[in-house]
This record gives sequence, structure tokens and C-alpha cells, in this order.
Amino acid sequence: MSNLWRTKLRSVLTILGVVIGIGALSSMVSFGVGMQKNLTDAFKKNDLFTSLNVTARSVNLEEISSGNLSNLNEKLQEPVTALNDSVVEMIRKIPGVVVAFPEIRFPVKLRFRDKETNLTLSAVPVGMKSFYPFSEIKKGQFFKNDSSFQLLIREKTLQDMGFKLKDNPEDTSAISGKYILLDTDSVIDSAIDIISKDIDLRGILANPFMVLMSQRRLPFKDTVIPFKLTGIIPEREGFGFDRFGGGVFVPLETSKRIPNLGFDNVWDLLGEDLPGDKYGSVYVRVNDMKMTKAVVDTLKNKGLNVFAFSEELKEIKRAFMIMDSLLGAIGLIALVVAALGIINTMLMSILERTREIGIMKSIGGSEAEIRIIFFVEAASIGLIGAVFGLGLGWLVTRIANAVMNSQLKPQDLPAVDLFSFPLWLILGAIAFSVLISLAAGLYPAIRAARVDPVKALRHD
Amino acid sequence: MIIITTKKLIKQYRKGKIIVPALNDISIKVKQGEYISVIGKSGSGKSTLLNLIGGLDTPTAGDLIVQDKALQSLSRKELAKYRRFVVGMIFQSFNLIPSKTARENISLALIFGGVPGKERKRRACELLDMVGLKDRTDHKPSELSGGEAQRVAIARALANDPEIILADEPTGNLDSSTSSEIIDLLVKLNKQKGKTIIMVTHDEEAAGKVSDRLIRLKDGMVV
Ligand SMILES: Nc1ncnc2c1ncn2[C@@H]1O[C@H](COP(=O)(O)OP(=O)(O)OP(=O)(O)O)[C@@H](O)[C@H]1O
Ligand SMILES: [Mg+2]
Repeated sequence: MSNLWRTKLRSVLTILGVVIGIGALSSMVSFGVGMQKNLTDAFKKNDLFTSLNVTARSVNLEEISSGNLSNLNEKLQEPVTALNDSVVEMIRKIPGVVVAFPEIRFPVKLRFRDKETNLTLSAVPVGMKSFYPFSEIKKGQFFKNDSSFQLLIREKTLQDMGFKLKDNPEDTSAISGKYILLDTDSVIDSAIDIISKDIDLRGILANPFMVLMSQRRLPFKDTVIPFKLTGIIPEREGFGFDRFGGGVFVPLETSKRIPNLGFDNVWDLLGEDLPGDKYGSVYVRVNDMKMTKAVVDTLKNKGLNVFAFSEELKEIKRAFMIMDSLLGAIGLIALVVAALGIINTMLMSILERTREIGIMKSIGGSEAEIRIIFFVEAASIGLIGAVFGLGLGWLVTRIANAVMNSQLKPQDLPAVDLFSFPLWLILGAIAFSVLISLAAGLYPAIRAARVDPVKALRHD
Repeated sequence: MIIITTKKLIKQYRKGKIIVPALNDISIKVKQGEYISVIGKSGSGKSTLLNLIGGLDTPTAGDLIVQDKALQSLSRKELAKYRRFVVGMIFQSFNLIPSKTARENISLALIFGGVPGKERKRRACELLDMVGLKDRTDHKPSELSGGEAQRVAIARALANDPEIILADEPTGNLDSSTSSEIIDLLVKLNKQKGKTIIMVTHDEEAAGKVSDRLIRLKDGMVV
């Protein structure tokens, strides 16, 4: 070690190169790992690993776009398990399935306290009460039953309409100009209207030419259905997004009684309905991630098409691997430059220490021992560089994170941690740095071992 | 008993196309426990001969046998071992590692000799005590006088208890009184410990007093 510090400045600069290299590498990889962790956590939080989507028939879009239609034709000839209530009931009985319900979703107009907005309405059964995001309801409560005229609204939807809840911990006076403040207790159970558009079928049947003739007035009619606002779904935290789109939720059975222009009904209208195929898709909830695979297999055996996020995870993992590698490559370049620095420093040091090497040989040092001495020096550079480099990387990520969060805060977004420093990253970075340094020390060490002692000791 | 034998030893240095003859047909025998002085003009090949016997260099032709082993048949690894255990070398310019203390310089030789850590410290102090430098253990070469530095070098040469001491102008950088101290130390090693000593010197008079035999070199040949 004393040799290492003898030419202190040069050593410090060489180590600094490694510090920067490892700092860049570790912060880059830390970002990749952090993003992956955030996304996986979000998936877990939103139960994506235990959620499945069942559709009646799969159409392979890739095949169609590549012009291979023979398969498509075969597919269309295959017997189809239609998605109707009896199928939903059957799915419910598969072991491991907790909840299964048809996904009903259509656009409506919402009217609350003289304000109106267009949004998507989704239907959920009472069985979803204990699942995210419905488990997060703090203001109000979930539906009493599947056919009540109760309604859940997202806090975000209220905000978009210009309302803000009074009991929000933020300074209410500052936003009072922008928003109408609501007293939470008085909002719960207050009236809210769903205004649904529907085609006046009877009108069309009475006069089919009406559609063609009256361009201005299409045969739509509005239906106003009074609901009670029973609960507010709070805003999501972190990288959250729940798979339940839509701004308002109504009970499953109730939704079926709302006239609408949903996708299914257009097929109804055209009379192209498959026999008994009532729903476009069914949402299935599995009780445990471990059961997902078995449930997927059972559903596939029944001729149903299943989309499971857990199956997509492999793809996502691969995408992240590519991202991590790209980020790592940037850091790697810095480390390669640092390695060149090590080679340069060590070759210089060998030139300066030729005599010393000659002395070591004259007192019985073997080539292997001299090589080891230089390897140890290279490894020390790598080790010290890695430790401080990790410190630098950590510091950089903390600063970047703080800057990022300071940007998020004014936008009312929750704080996030973009980076992650797992133990394997720390140990891996140290091992990698030492390894790279040893590789850089390889040629200098061989050169050192080959020094001719007679020549080395000759000049004074 | 003969410890060193050279037969028609030839060493040539090649500088591009020019061949520089350093040793020409050297045949000598050295008995165990002998004190031999090598004298000759500058460039006569004294250092070259010592380097060959010390295993630092390899002969161009001829035989070099030390303790019944032909050095030219040894591998580089075996040659390192030979330098470690059979010979100890001392130089005009001391050749101590400047960044290490007296004790550390000796310890390095002990490390190569495979002496374990605790034993190393004890042995190094013992050796320094023997050359009269008990109180200089933690001094760096730059903090030592020439005579002291050379004594550290002698202690280091003795670290792994070699049979042969090779000294290349050990007093060349020292004043006359310090020189005689160093020579006295070598004589003591020769007489008390029975070390075989080959010493290169320019001081023929002093050499004549202490050594059993003089070998005179001229243009790479014994005269
Ligand atoms: N590495 C070398 N390359 C080329 N020539 C060399 C080399 N080493 C020694 N010589 C030559 O070999 C000859 C003998 O050199 P050597 O060092 O043995 O002389 P020396 O007797 O020790 O001289 P001095 O008293 O000056 O130390 C000289 O002519 C020298 O120039
Ligand atoms: Mg010489």
C-alpha cells in the first residue's frame, strides 16, 4: 500500500477515475432497477398479477396483418364458448377464483350540483369491495348490493368538475378561488344524476328513412337516472394506476338497467350477435398469485381466451433487461475509460519502479510474486474506487430524486423514489470494479514480472 | 569442498548487431567458506561474473555449477528460489527500497522466503541487531548514513541464511573508515558463520589483507 501512496496525486486521480466510472454505472443501474421495482410494486399493489381478462375468442392481429387469413377462417369456424351469465357463473366456481364479473363500461354524462361532465361509467359487483382501489375508500362506503342506485366517484373526477373536498389537509383558502369547496359529510349520500344517451330504436323502426333524412337530429334520446353518491375513491399514491378505468362506478346489476350506446348494443342493433354472447370480456380475480397459472390453464381448456398480466411479465422483464443493459453500457464506458487510466498509471509506476522490481528479483522475488504485488495494487484501486464510487452514485441518485420530487410537489403528485440500491448492486459493483481493475493490471503486471534485474540495477 | 565451479563461462551482450563480450572463457573453482576478492579494471566483467553466479543473469555458453546444481538447467522459478536461499547479494549503491524502513526492507526478503508474519518481525530485528543497527529499525534509507544503509543491505542479504554472499563493490560509495567497518563485518560473517564470500573491489591492498584468494579479471578473462 505504501507504494500506492508514494505517488499520491497520481493514485488519487486514477482512483477518482474509477470512482466516477462506478458512480455512473451504479447510478444508471440503480435507476433501471428502481424503475423496475416501482413498476412491479405498482403491479402488485394494483393486483395485476392476480387479475385476468377473459374474452370469448382471440383474433390474432399479427396473422391478419401478415395476410395469413386461413387461420383466421378456421378460428371463426371453431365452436365458441360464449360469454354469458352462465359462463360467468362457471368461471366463478373454478378453484382459486374469488370474483368474476362481466366488464361493462360505457360513456355517460354526469350531473352534480349543476355541473356536468362526460366520462366513462364502469360496473363493479359488491364482491370487489375488499380489492384495490375500492378497498381504499375512506369517505363514504361501498355499494350495499348489486342492484342499488348508489354510485362511487373518484376524487380526481370531482376535481376535474371543479370541486375540492374541504377536509383535504392542504391550505383550503389558497385553492378556494379555483375550486368549489365541499364538505365531505354533506357530499356523501347527496344526489347525483347519470344522463345516458340511447338510440331511439322505436323511432328508427317506425321510420327507417328518418336516419338518412334528418341529418341534424339523430334519433338519440337522453335518459336521466338519479343516483346517490355513496363513496369517494381517493387519489392513488406513488406509481399507482388501477386497471379499472372510468370516473364513476355503479353496481353491476344496476348498470344493466341503464340504457346505453355501449359496444354490445351496437352489435345488438346490427343483429350480428353471436348466440348467447352477451359480454365482451369478463374480469376474473384470483385469490393468490400462485393460483394464476392454474386458473389460466382451466379457462383455456374451456375454450376461452385469457389475458393475464403475469404472462406478460416475462416480456416486461425482458424489456427492463434491455433498458438496464443500455443504462449499464453508459456507465460501462466511464469505467472503461477509468480502466485505461489504471493501465496508464501502472505502466508509469512500473517505469519509475524498475529498480525496485530489480531489487525484489535480486533478493529472490519470483515473477509470480511480483505479478501478485501489482495485481494487489490494481485490485486496491478497484476496491477503493468502487467504495467511493458507490458513495458518489448514491449521492447523485439522492440529489436527482430530490430534484425530481421538488418538481412533482407543486403538481400535487406524490413523492416517489426513482432509484434502488439493492445489496446485489452494491456487491456486484465492487466485484465488477475489482475485476475490471485486475484486467487493467494484467498487462502492467506481466511487464513488471519480465523486468530484467541486471538492467534494472545497472543504472544508478 | 567446492561450492562454485565455472567451466568455460562465456557471457556476451548483444546490442543490435554488435556483440559485446563481457566474459570470455572463465573457469574458476570456489571452495566453501572461502573469501575471494575479484579485482580488475572498469569494464573487465567483474559485475557480470557476480550477476551470473547470483542467478540474476544467464550465461551465453559454458557451465556454472553451484552446490552441485547447474544453474543453466534451472527454470526461471527455480532460479528465483536459488537467489532467495542460496545467494545473498550486496551492491555498491545499497539497493534498498526507498519507501520502506530498514525493517521492512529485510521483511520483504523474509516474505519471499516464506517466513510467517510474527516470525518475520523478530527475525528482522535480530538481523539488524547483528549488524549493529538495533536502534535504526524504523528508519528509511534516506534517513541512514551510507555505512548504515550498507549494513541494512548486508542484513537483508542474510535474511534467508544463504551459503554464499556476493558483494559488488560494497565499499565503493563509502569513506575509508566506514569501508573498513563493512569489510570487518564481512570478515566476521566469513570467519564466524562460515559464509562463502565473493567480493568485487578496487582496493587491491585491502583485498589482499582480508581475502583468501584474489581473482584478477582483464577483458573478461582471468589473468
Ligand atoms: N546489459 C549490457 N548490455 C551491453 N553491454 C553490457 C551490459 N552489461 C555489461 N555490458 C558490458 O560488459 C562489459 C563488462 O561489464 P561489467 O559491468 O561486468 O564490468 P565491471 O567490471 O563490473 O565494470 P565496473 O568496474 O565499471 O563496474 C562492459 O564492457 C560493459 O559495457
Ligand atoms: Mg561493476
